[in-house]
Formats: sequence, structure tokens, C-alpha cells
Amino acid sequence: MADADNSYARLMDPASERAKRGAFFFLVLFAAIIFAMWDLARFLWGGTAVPSTLNMGVGVGLTVLMLASLVPVVVARKKLDRGDDGGVVSSMAALLVISLVMIGGIVYNWTTLTIGSGYGGIYDITTIWFLVHFVAAILALLASIMKISRTPDRAKRERWVSYNVLTYWGGVAILWVAFFIVFYIA
Amino acid sequence: MATNEIQAQPLDDMGGDKSAFAISMLFPLFRATLWGLTGYFAAAWITAILAGTVIVDPLPATVGYVAGLVCWLMGSGVWEGWIRRAFGGKEAPSYTGIERYFRFGPDSKSTAVRYVVLNIVTFFLAGMAAMAIRIELLTPDSTGWWMSEIQYNQTFGIHGLMMLLGVVASAIVGGVGYYLIPLMLGTRNVVFPKLLGLSWWLLPPATFAVFMSPTIGGFQTGWWGYPPLAQNSGSGIVWYVLGAATILIASLLGAINIAGTMVYMRAKGMSLGRVPIFIWGLFAAATILIVESPATYTGALMDLSDMILGSHFYTGPTGHPLAYMDQFWFLFHPEVYVFILPAFAIWLEILPAAAKRPLFARGWAIAGLVGVSMLGAMLGVHHYFTAVSDARMPIFMTITETVSIPTGFIYLSAIGTIWGGRLRINAAVLLVLMAMMNFLVGGLTGIFNADVPADLQLHNTYWVIAHFHYTMLGGVIFTWLAALYWWFPKVTGRKINEFWGKFHAWWFLVFFNCTFFPMFIAGLDGMNRRIAIYLPYLHEINLFMSISSFFLGAGFLIPLANLLYSWRYGPKADANPWGSKGLEWQIKSPTPYVPYPEGVDPEVVGPNDNYAPGAKEPFVWVPTPSK
Repeated sequence: MADADNSYARLMDPASERAKRGAFFFLVLFAAIIFAMWDLARFLWGGTAVPSTLNMGVGVGLTVLMLASLVPVVVARKKLDRGDDGGVVSSMAALLVISLVMIGGIVYNWTTLTIGSGYGGIYDITTIWFLVHFVAAILALLASIMKISRTPDRAKRERWVSYNVLTYWGGVAILWVAFFIVFYIA
Repeated sequence: MATNEIQAQPLDDMGGDKSAFAISMLFPLFRATLWGLTGYFAAAWITAILAGTVIVDPLPATVGYVAGLVCWLMGSGVWEGWIRRAFGGKEAPSYTGIERYFRFGPDSKSTAVRYVVLNIVTFFLAGMAAMAIRIELLTPDSTGWWMSEIQYNQTFGIHGLMMLLGVVASAIVGGVGYYLIPLMLGTRNVVFPKLLGLSWWLLPPATFAVFMSPTIGGFQTGWWGYPPLAQNSGSGIVWYVLGAATILIASLLGAINIAGTMVYMRAKGMSLGRVPIFIWGLFAAATILIVESPATYTGALMDLSDMILGSHFYTGPTGHPLAYMDQFWFLFHPEVYVFILPAFAIWLEILPAAAKRPLFARGWAIAGLVGVSMLGAMLGVHHYFTAVSDARMPIFMTITETVSIPTGFIYLSAIGTIWGGRLRINAAVLLVLMAMMNFLVGGLTGIFNADVPADLQLHNTYWVIAHFHYTMLGGVIFTWLAALYWWFPKVTGRKINEFWGKFHAWWFLVFFNCTFFPMFIAGLDGMNRRIAIYLPYLHEINLFMSISSFFLGAGFLIPLANLLYSWRYGPKADANPWGSKGLEWQIKSPTPYVPYPEGVDPEVVGPNDNYAPGAKEPFVWVPTPSK
């Protein structure tokens, strides 16, 4: 699909790729602090014991999956550096599948806890927040994949979008590991 | 290339579409409203049917709000202007004429103008709520002819929330800041223009929801939303929580743009020491929002979860109501610095140009702005000394009182700037001087609030109301009007009527003080806040305050008329009517759609506040380097 001549739009979005990628970290910082609040709140409402009903196997599985997801993230970044659109799309598709599995695991673990209890409440609301992030990740990945496929020239000019999607995923992966330590082990 | 050559360049091709206004330009607004209402009612009804409940219950109201907000955004132009393109779809045309003011778009200038308009509308509506409160307080008892106690509670809650989050949170940051950030930094737009555009479009539904909350049961908590009262005070609390959270998200989107644009998009040669002081004020405010708002977001979501999901964070056997206060005040005390720091910075931006003197102790002033921002993160507990353990009191008293030190830097910088200068007093400068006086009163009386022994007596009295209004209305709103007057020529190419500007400034000062200074006395005499009735011996002073407040409220029609009239018929302004050395004044007024012409960039070669005779121009214009 060819782009319309829209020189005003380009002129009025003057930020460089460095600026777009750098400024995105303010958003990542904000998201990280929100999760830090949830992690702190776990000890106020959840006490120190982890309920026996919580499915540890699912938690470990999801954490391993998130750690493994860093491989397609790294691969996609390298492909982006090289301008290999096909490689970027396949890595992002892998992340899409992982998002869906994560959502399934999160929803499954809700059934093992009661939201009205102290631990159950803080666990459920924290994982709801993760779920929101995974839904956002799915939309962002889908957008990147479709843009690369439908308008490769535009996607090349706006590589920062794909970089930021991958940065976002990396941030969520780190936050998930922290969540696992705080909610399953500590 | 000299500055005057840049101003003389024919920029018509960068000025955007010159078409006259047509009613069809309002289409996105109508569409957004239609889609938003349809989305709300459809989602709320479906949820109510599935849950076997009624549409005004918390769960349907929540689902309806979220669906309505998304539909509103899509109707406003977010779909064709952003989402469709993001998925590789067709690119929307750039709207560069009048119609850009009525639809979603990436232009930060039109976003800022929309902020001003919405702030004025919200200020009017929340001001009407204040008038309703003062009518109720004309008599000591709850007369019944005007409002019930329940309605009184709803009214002061809506007044407080909307004045804070709907007006002062965005009046200077949004209406003034978003316009000036790119211009002052020497770039054409902010780092994420679409996110900034989105920030405004989040506001109307949130504002509407809070004002309409009485239709689904209202809320009795005031603007704090304290549990467990929140869970027992009507479904309107859901719209309060969602509306407040939405407005805070809008603020956050702006904060990311402020911080990102300042860090990454400064003009060549603009070191951090040369960044305009107003941008420093905005940056200090933005850091508060990015770092401290998460605590309050989590508190709001947990409060909402208690209402719609059945959790017990703040109620029931596992509930900790005091935790909400910690989460709430962790942001909402520093939030007042989000309001006032940009106002301080405007004083320091206007005074050097008006006095034709360099900004005194510039480095200390920046340290003051950043220092207030950092210290402000740690002192929210002083809002509930009456509810915490003895151990926490002296710590938070000390930190709170320490804030006066960096605030003092800012005052000393302002006073040092005008000391020995020849201040040219126009309406904007007059309002700045008045704001400085008002905030001084508010700040000094705040020391008593911070002091534990005094606070335990003054807590929940009208002393606190007076202190707060001296800082917010007296400090922020006076400065907001000053900023609107000062930068009016930049936006419209015309000047305001100086006589009526000064007339209103004095009117405002007199009736502001007549309304709020007696509240210190009433508070010391034992008048409680948040209650519709008071003891008969306080009647006369309340009568005086109410009548003064009616004059104060009516007086706001003067600047409104002045701004509207001057926009069409005011005297035409030069490109730089105040002789300012700020970069934003070195380009044409009104600002062209593309503020900096293609192919040439500003380079900063000196401080922008050096008004010494014969001082060289702080900016030169250089060809854009080829990439």
C-alpha cells in the first residue's frame, strides 16, 4: 500500500529514532514502578506464606517461558538492525504465541485462589495487570507485524516502533521474573 | 542568519490550511459523542443483563465507562489518525487548518488550545459547584431549600476533584506548557505527538463522568475516595475512580512527552543550563507524575477491585483502610507541586523579560524546582497526622518543613531578578506579582499545617481550606491567567485589553482575599470543613465569605470576555511584543502551523535571559545539517 504524500506529517514529527527509543524508557520506568508497588503490597495483604492451592508448576512454567521469550526478542532486534523483515516478523509471531500462552496460564491460576482472601486478592489483581500488559503486547506485536508486511517502506522509516515493542516485552519479562520471586518464592 | 530575517521569511506555505470555519469540521466531535454514549450504554446494559443486575451498579458502570471511553476515542479520529496507520493501513491526511482543533491529531499547539478551552469550561462548572457550596453556607443550619447534606457532600467532592484534576493539573502544564515546549526547545513538535494528542481526548469523558456521577448515586467521600466510605456511598464512586484515573493517565502521557522532549530534542547548543526555566518547571512536575503516580494508580485500582471484583484490600477482615491513605497521598501531596512548579517557573520566565534583567541565581532557581520535586515525594503523611503513629509524625513534619528551603530559592531568584530593575507592569506581570503574594501567604500558613502540635488542632478546619486555596487558586490560577495574557499574542497575534486585564487582576485580588482570608479566622474559631452545618456564632463571617465569593466568581466573566473579544478584535501584536529573548518569541506570531521553517534550525549561543545593554542575541539560525 503506497503512502499518501503527507509531508506535513513527517515535518511535524521531528523526533529522531534515538529520541523515540530513549523517551520510551520513561514509560517503561513508570510501568516498573507500578509493579514494584504490587510486589510491595503482596507482603502487606498476602503475609509471608504462599497458599498451597496456588499451582507452583504453572508459575514455574510461565517463568521459564518468559525467560525463553528473551531469545526471540534478541533475535528480532538483530534482524531489525540488519533490516531483515522476514526474521523480525517470525520472531514477533513467536512472541505473539507466547503472549497467548501466558494469558492462559494467568487465567488458570486465578481459579486456584479466592480473590476475597489477602493473598488471593493481591495475586489476582497483580496478574490482571500483567494480563493487561500481554493484551497490549499482542496488539503492539500485531501492529508491527502488519505494518512490516503491508507497508515495509514505512516500517523501515519507523523502526523505532518495533524496537520499542521489543523493549516493552523485555521489560515485562524482567517484571514477571520479579513477580515470580516475590509471589511464589518469598 | 539573523532573527529578524527568520521572522520576515514568507512562511505561508508552513502556515497550514487557511479555510474558514465550517460546521462540518465539528463532525469528529459529534461522532465521538455519539459513539461514546452508544458504547457506554450498550456495554453497561449487556453487562447488567449478564450479571443479573441494574445498569447503575458498579460493575456495569465500570464496563460501560471503559467501552464508552474507547468508542469516544475512536470517534474522535484516533482510528483513522493513528490506529489504522499503525497496523499498516491508509495514512490519514494532515489537518492543518481550523478543523485540527476539533479532532484527534498530532499538533501540540492545537492540543494546547483545546486544553485551555476545556480548562475554562471545567473551571466554570466546578466554580458553579463552589457557588452552590457557598449558598448552602449562607445559613448555619441545613435549610433544605437548597441542598440536602448528601447533595452537599457530592457537590464539594466534585468541586474538589474537578478543580484539582480538571483545572489546575492541566491549566499551566497542558494549556501553556504543551504549546511552548517545542517552541522553547527549538523543535517543531514533542517527542510523541500522537500520545500528547491522545492525552486531551481522554479528558472530556472523564470530566463528564465525574460531573454526572450523581446520576448513578454520587459519592460521599469528597475528592479523596477514602474507603470504607467509598464502598458505602453510591455507585458514583466508580465514575470518580475511573474519571480520576483517566485524567491521571492523560497527565502521564504529557509527562512522558515533557521529559522525553527536554532530554532528547533540545536545539543545538542548548545545554541543560540553558534550557528555559519554564521547561525546567515542567520537567520537575513531569518527574513527579512518572515516579509517584504509580502508588495512587494501584490504590485506585484496588479500591475499584473492592467494589466490583469482591476483593478486600481496604474493607472486611483483610482490609487496611490506612494503606489507601498512604497510596493516595504518595502522589496527591506531590501533585500540588505538579500544579505549582510550572507556575513558579512562569514567574521566573516572565519577570526577567518584564524587568529587562537576567534571571537572578538561575542555577539555584533550577535547584529549587528540582529540590521541591524531590522532597515532595516524601511527605504525604502530613495529611493524616491524626491517624498515624507518633513515630511517623516528627519525620514527616521535618521533611515537610524542609520544602520551604528550595521554595525559598525560587522566591529569592524572583526577587533578585526584579531588584533594581525597572519593571514594566502589564496585566500579566501584575498577576504574577499578586500570585507571589498569595502563594507566600499560602506557604507560610502551610508551615502550621506541617507542624504536628498545630496541625492536630487545625486538622479538618477551614484553616486548611484557606491555606490550600491561597496556594492553588491564589498561586496557580493567578499565574495561569498571567500566562494566558503573556503568551496570548504568540497564539493569536493579538494583545488583550490591558485595562480590563488589570481591572480584573485587582478585582480578583480583592475578592479572593475577602473570600479566603476569613477562612483562616473561621478555622481558628473551630469551623469544620466538609460539613453543611456550622455553629451560629460563625454565621456572620460565613455570610461575608459567601457574598465575597459571589463577586469573586462573577469576576471571572471579565477575563473570559477579554480573551474572547481580544481574540477577534484585540490590537495586533508585534512578533515579540514584550522584547523577550525567549526562543518562542523569535518566530512569527501567531505561530505558523510549522513553527520552525524547513531547512533552518536555531542554535543557542548564549543565555536567553541576558538583557544587559548590548548583549548579543542568544540564538543564531543555521542551515539544517544534511543526514
